[in-house]
Amino acid sequence: MIRALVMTHGEIGAQLVRVVEMIMGPIAGLTALSNGNKAATELQDDVKAWLDKSEDDAGEIILIDDYGGSCASAAVIACGEVENRTIIAGVNLAMLLGYVTWRDSEDQAELAAKVLNKGREAITIVGGR
Amino acid sequence: MPIILARIDDRFIHGQVTVGWSRQLRPDRIILADNAIAADTWQSRVYASSVPPEIQVSIESVARAAADLLNTATLDERVLLLTGGVGEMNELVHMGAPIAKVNVGGLHFSAGKKEMLPFVFVDAADLKALLRLLDAGLELSAQQVPGGREYLLDRERLLAMEAAL
Repeated sequence: MIRALVMTHGEIGAQLVRVVEMIMGPIAGLTALSNGNKAATELQDDVKAWLDKSEDDAGEIILIDDYGGSCASAAVIACGEVENRTIIAGVNLAMLLGYVTWRDSEDQAELAAKVLNKGREAITIVGGR
Repeated sequence: MPIILARIDDRFIHGQVTVGWSRQLRPDRIILADNAIAADTWQSRVYASSVPPEIQVSIESVARAAADLLNTATLDERVLLLTGGVGEMNELVHMGAPIAKVNVGGLHFSAGKKEMLPFVFVDAADLKALLRLLDAGLELSAQQVPGGREYLLDRERLLAMEAAL
């Protein structure tokens, strides 16, 4: 199973996962991680611990809220340059719904590309002038 | 190099620094003084890439940073100085870096540390190092972000915390 970690400032990630599960039911392999009250090294260790829980080599996607913060740095440092791991910034609800929808039918690289594209498409003006 | 903020923050370069303080203080350069990160090309690149393009960034060993801070050729450059712990800031001060005031911006919880403030967790070694900064004549305060509450870290507060460990 291609797992996903939603890694954010505060409780953004936990709430996003909660809403996804409200819509689609419980999702194994989808986890939230907050940077709350953690030093850089501890946050890196949390990501490594999550990576180590992998039960197969299907790969992982880490979705962070914003590039340039503690989440991004910790995710990039913890992952290193390894195949089948992608870190994407700018997580939104549409990306997570897409991840759940497609994760059993795509390989990791294709899934990451589709999730990224979905997130971009989801940011759009829908009304007003 | 005039140091406009000398900050101790165990998240190193992150949003509170690059967005919060940098928008307020407009530094020309961020110097991160950390031996482990400076020796690691991959980590240095990750942290350097988190800095907005209008700000220069140097990730250096503590000794190199101390020398750079004393370099009179760059007197017009406004520097935001960062260390990950109290020990590194102490080393910089004792190597002669021109630091008058230290901002404790974040020392997060880890095993063996106790809460002094919601964003400052310390052990006996941290307190000893903070007291050494006071002994060197520096002013110490804790503040996470601009406009946030600033807590003066005076001798009385540090000694009270030491007694409570």
